[in-house]
Amino acid sequence: MPHRLPENGLVVFAKRACETCAMVEPVLGELARSGQALTVFTQDDPGFPAILRPVDDTALENSFRFDVEAVPTVIRLDGGRETARTFGWNRSEWERVTGIAGLGQGLPAMRPGCGSKSREPGVHEQLFARYGDTGLTSRRITLDAWDDEAEACFERGWSDGLPVVPPTPTRILRMLEGTRRRPDEIIGEVPPNLSPITVEKVAINAVMAGCRPDYMPVVIAALEAALQPEFTLHGLLCTTCFSGPIIVVNGPIARQIGMNSGINCLGQGNRANATIGRALQLIVRNVGGGRPGELDRAVLGGPGKYTFCFAEDESDPTWQPLAVARGVAPGRNAVTLFQGDGIQGFVDQRSRTPQELTRSLAMSLLAVAHPKLCEFTNAMLVLVPEHYAIFRDAGWDRARITRELHAAMVRPGKDVIQGAHGVGEGVAASRRDEMVAKFWPEGLLIVHAGGQAGLFSAICAGWTGGRFRHESKPVTREIVT
Amino acid sequence: MTPGLELCDPTAETASALRPRTAPLTTLAGSTVALMDIGKMRGDEFIDRLEQLCRERGVATRRYKKPTNTRVAPREMIADIAASCQAVIIALSDCGSCTSCSTHDLNDLDKRGLAGVSVLTEEFRHAFDQQKAAIGFDAAAIYVPHPMQNKTTAELHAFAEESIDRILAAICAASEPTPLEHAA
Repeated sequence: MPHRLPENGLVVFAKRACETCAMVEPVLGELARSGQALTVFTQDDPGFPAILRPVDDTALENSFRFDVEAVPTVIRLDGGRETARTFGWNRSEWERVTGIAGLGQGLPAMRPGCGSKSREPGVHEQLFARYGDTGLTSRRITLDAWDDEAEACFERGWSDGLPVVPPTPTRILRMLEGTRRRPDEIIGEVPPNLSPITVEKVAINAVMAGCRPDYMPVVIAALEAALQPEFTLHGLLCTTCFSGPIIVVNGPIARQIGMNSGINCLGQGNRANATIGRALQLIVRNVGGGRPGELDRAVLGGPGKYTFCFAEDESDPTWQPLAVARGVAPGRNAVTLFQGDGIQGFVDQRSRTPQELTRSLAMSLLAVAHPKLCEFTNAMLVLVPEHYAIFRDAGWDRARITRELHAAMVRPGKDVIQGAHGVGEGVAASRRDEMVAKFWPEGLLIVHAGGQAGLFSAICAGWTGGRFRHESKPVTREIVT
Repeated sequence: MTPGLELCDPTAETASALRPRTAPLTTLAGSTVALMDIGKMRGDEFIDRLEQLCRERGVATRRYKKPTNTRVAPREMIADIAASCQAVIIALSDCGSCTSCSTHDLNDLDKRGLAGVSVLTEEFRHAFDQQKAAIGFDAAAIYVPHPMQNKTTAELHAFAEESIDRILAAICAASEPTPLEHAA
């Protein structure tokens, strides 16, 4: 509770660690003897200054409420309102504020003070969360002093199975500084419960996922993309298949926030990659109510459902970035969300020409979902630099590679219809006499990423919802910072 | 309870902040009910009568006794209860540490699929609610009068007789109040 102060009088904030505060200790004695009501708040040592009876403000509540920036600070109250203030030691200023002439004889005329403890890095946000009007509206849950906060989050079912960062008001306020969006703005409705989600709830889940505030624009863009009707997040999160959202980040923001597009970029070890994808999944779980075994009915699921997010390597100017290929202006920041599974490795250390490599890639891509299923899922090919170099050195760009790959995956219907080659799975028997493409023309997304060494690209099979060509599609969305 | 860290709810807040408890059993037939004595003085006299009343109603029970009411139950005891029983009655909490530790025990057993109820004295209704909120668990409780430490054995037995039907109803949805005179 804030200290009750006299309606009229002087208020001083000081700390022992400040040499100027120690220097003006005799002046405080003069103020006390002046007959004016004097209240001295001490920020660090409740026994300082010893000649007075200071009020302990080591919790810094009063310093916060008076918005003290430096010590010593002297404030005059008249009728309960602040009418004058000065800080540091400046004789004429102190005389003006206190109305007492001849203060601090023998002291220099002026000496700067020190920073207020309430303004030390990280402290102000905590004080704001504790004493300020935060504007946060989420339900507050107060733990027992002896509770383990990480266990408390597990107990409440807020976790994907790994520990989460406890969402304290201070951390949430810091996270909200990463966006210009208002905390109460509604981004959309998160399936399966179609619960409205505010920016504040995004921030809470981003805190829990381990995000830094500067990831917020990417998290929000990813969520907005996921909530586009054509992304069909509802079906994706409830599906019996393996899939979840795979997030590819394009543009300078990926480098600014330290995302990995190189060595092990689909793996562990990068905070931004790991936590942005995780934040989206925690939102699905906590806000949408999509929990495994309840409405998430994946028969196996996949490790990508913890998080699957990476950046595209845009360092090679011959490569057209994915977002640009999908309509975003070059140099802009964007996310592309793909409904996909884990990775299927593509190993080819023998191909020397683009034709060889195309045929080789096509063989692996044909295995997506099932070798005899066609126009049934989309696919994402993560092409590593050494494989791309084979195409690039022959003058093939993204458009050419995509075109040639599609052409290499067209097969006679008689080979892929149900029952052909003694296998029941396959396309409808009515397509026996057609030439059948593996993917829709727009259904193969190619991303350039990975370390500089290794002829090992990756294929992410798409979700089976992709068979509804016009109903379920990957989504690209610009990131607004 | 001393307030600790404050968290903001990450959910859509469409549900209670408390995790629902394991649903009560549909029948007690064929089930074994753990009678967990929290180790507080005089609780055994209450539970002795509770055990008799269960037997009279044909309810199979198994007695357990914690080494102390001031700690949560030993892991081996929790594992044994979970392996041997389908429901649990925890009694009799009449202090802060009993209330806190027994609620954690109830939570632990609930997560292992046991329908459970805690028996406390009226004075600890608020403490129990606070502990439920802190754990985030919608635990069930039955209250008997406070204080109990100054009661005679006959009076503690009377508490058991007065509360047995409510206790069983908390762990079994089909449990009908059975007049004592008809039970045998």
